[in-house]
Amino acid sequence: MSEGSRLQASGSRLPSPCYACVFLPPVTGQPAPEPGLLLEIAQGFSPRYERHRDDLISIDVRGLERFIGSKANLCCTGEPSMRAIGEELLRAAEANGVRAHVALARTRMAALILAHARPGLTVVAPGEEATTLATVPIAVLTRIAGCVIPPRQTTRDDGSADIAALFTQWALVTLGELAALPADDLTARIGRQGSVWQAIARGEDIRPLVPTEPDERFAGSLELEWPIDGLEPLSFVLTRLLEPLSTQLERRDRGAAALHVTLDLVTRDVHARHLELPTPIRDVRTLRTLALLDIEAHPPAAAIDRITVVIDPTPGRIVQHTLFTRPLPTPEQLSTLLARLGAVMGQDRIGAPAPIDTYRPGAFAMRAFATEHRPQTQPQPLVPSSQSPAASALRRCRQPVPARVIAKAGQPLRVTSDRRGYAGGSVVTAAGPWRTSGDWWADGAERAGEPSKAGEAGRAGEAGREKHSALSYPPHPPYLPHLTCSAWSRTEWDVALSDGAVYRVFHDELRDAWFIDGIFD
Amino acid sequence: MALARAALESLLRTRQLDKTLTTALPIDLPGDEYASGASGVDELDARLGGGLPRGQLSEIVGSRSSGRLSLLLHMAAVATRRGELVAIVDALDMLDVASLEAAGVVLDRLLWIRGHVVINPGMSRELNQRAMEQALRALALVLQAGNFGLVVLDLAEAPIEIVSRLPFTTWLRLQRMVEGSQTVAMLVGCTPIARSSGGLTVKLGAEGWGPGAGDVRRALFMGFDVEARVVRARARGQDDAPARFATKGHVNV
Repeated sequence: MSEGSRLQASGSRLPSPCYACVFLPPVTGQPAPEPGLLLEIAQGFSPRYERHRDDLISIDVRGLERFIGSKANLCCTGEPSMRAIGEELLRAAEANGVRAHVALARTRMAALILAHARPGLTVVAPGEEATTLATVPIAVLTRIAGCVIPPRQTTRDDGSADIAALFTQWALVTLGELAALPADDLTARIGRQGSVWQAIARGEDIRPLVPTEPDERFAGSLELEWPIDGLEPLSFVLTRLLEPLSTQLERRDRGAAALHVTLDLVTRDVHARHLELPTPIRDVRTLRTLALLDIEAHPPAAAIDRITVVIDPTPGRIVQHTLFTRPLPTPEQLSTLLARLGAVMGQDRIGAPAPIDTYRPGAFAMRAFATEHRPQTQPQPLVPSSQSPAASALRRCRQPVPARVIAKAGQPLRVTSDRRGYAGGSVVTAAGPWRTSGDWWADGAERAGEPSKAGEAGRAGEAGREKHSALSYPPHPPYLPHLTCSAWSRTEWDVALSDGAVYRVFHDELRDAWFIDGIFD
Repeated sequence: MALARAALESLLRTRQLDKTLTTALPIDLPGDEYASGASGVDELDARLGGGLPRGQLSEIVGSRSSGRLSLLLHMAAVATRRGELVAIVDALDMLDVASLEAAGVVLDRLLWIRGHVVINPGMSRELNQRAMEQALRALALVLQAGNFGLVVLDLAEAPIEIVSRLPFTTWLRLQRMVEGSQTVAMLVGCTPIARSSGGLTVKLGAEGWGPGAGDVRRALFMGFDVEARVVRARARGQDDAPARFATKGHVNV
């Protein structure tokens, strides 16, 4: 009989299933093992392994007897094959410079417990799991509980340590004594967990092995025969790189959380760009557009020799569409739109408005516009109701317009301005005054009437153009919160003029000048 | 033959299929929010046949202080509270966040694009023209992205010369972009410039304004009495009477 036909005839010599557990015991005075060491050892034996901790791993070793052990073992029962695999695992650990406990059994639970309880190699004959575990001290439960009990089955109040303490209080010394307890009585005293702990004590698996997936790298690189200099050819290359990555992401139900584009230039410099994506994206066109827009905004200094794209994966987005709500732009559409708008207008010019907790007139902040909006099933009522009239709105001049105001007893009678577009006229109706001031405590110099640096700069820049000087007026309170620290004190009036316009004007008390702050429209 | 054609057109209208296939105008279905976007002002909506048509370029025009922005923000508030996204291309960067809040706009659903156009360009007219083109590009990008409920280009205070220098094909291109979508595209300006054939022009004029009373906790300015007239509303202008509504001031504290 040839060797091949003998293999087929003999079939699997290992009990099915069969698990090996490798445990690296802590050694006094030596550092903890490297996190990837056990993974490396396991990957050398089987693709089906589960990492419990850095020092503990379970391996599904079914079928390995065909590759490990002598030909004589193939004709024997499963135990010699298991021993051969265990010895091979020990040798692999020693080759990596660590001392390991290895246990092989038909159940993963028995192998896990024995790997903790006994040094060296332990092989349990099929069907002997409960008998072998019977002599193991019950204290071992506290060491393995974290990796064998699913989180749902443990609660904060009755954790593994407490349970082990309870068993000790009950004078249980070995797992065999726990396994021998009447199951009904145990469950009546400590609940459903009683049966779970008893199954563990007998070496029965309470859940299947969940294979650890190796970290998948979503990366692609392309070395160009001829350097490229320009966005259009780069677009084609990026598409070619991103398409297989997108397929890979889709297979794994992943989306891109971040996109790293590294460009090796002909000058041997490296131009790296990193894009944090607002939502998991795997659409090739969206990713390409975002990368191109970013590179357009930050172009490389020389032609490109090599392009590398790396994607940081994140779990995919699950979307439940409905026919009963209005469609909203997808996060991909909004991400692309915001990137395009940022390239056209500037990133600081787009977003969602946000009020600031201040009394400063016109102060506001800009927030990033969210790319994910939930559809609204019920319309939100207008506050107050939709029957109420529209609120009067103000168009605010970001830089107040210097105005000439004739006032009597502080009340404006005529408002004009030298600025084009603000003809002005006599005041038909006026409402006010409204006094407002703030931040005087933050700027002592301005409070005392001394011109600030900003005021001086304004004076230098516009000298001689305005009689009422915007010259001595500091830059209008900007919208950025960190700049809203200069003092202000003003008296506001809302005036309807003879030309039909309604303005909000104010008298700057600090600089004794009138300005148009906004237009009611 | 004529009967068959009339029957086909009737069927197309009933099923709301592509309106370009019919020679007659579509039947108005008042209250159909998928056909029109309500402005939130009942009297005006009645004149508009339910609201401003979706998939069309409409206009709000009027002189300074005629209530254009007040109406616009009210529309934005109503749209955002319906769950729609609203984009405002604020060409001159004059929006006031306090006014947005007072109008009841859901700020998270408002995409604010702040332009660089200035009222008084001085010597830098070319820069102003470029800023205008940027604003139009931004508007085109938003329309192309699609699925916004209301998209507005606010040119109300823009110098008339830079608006008039824009080629008329600009507006035709924008109209083609918005056609067939669920978006109400809106221009706000001084004079009608770009209304599409299916869109509407709402001309506003303030009839009066009220100053605040002596109570300092009230608004300084109490609001407009606005007269809104629908200009050139094809197939909707059965009633030429203007709609009247008042705006209210908001508390200034």
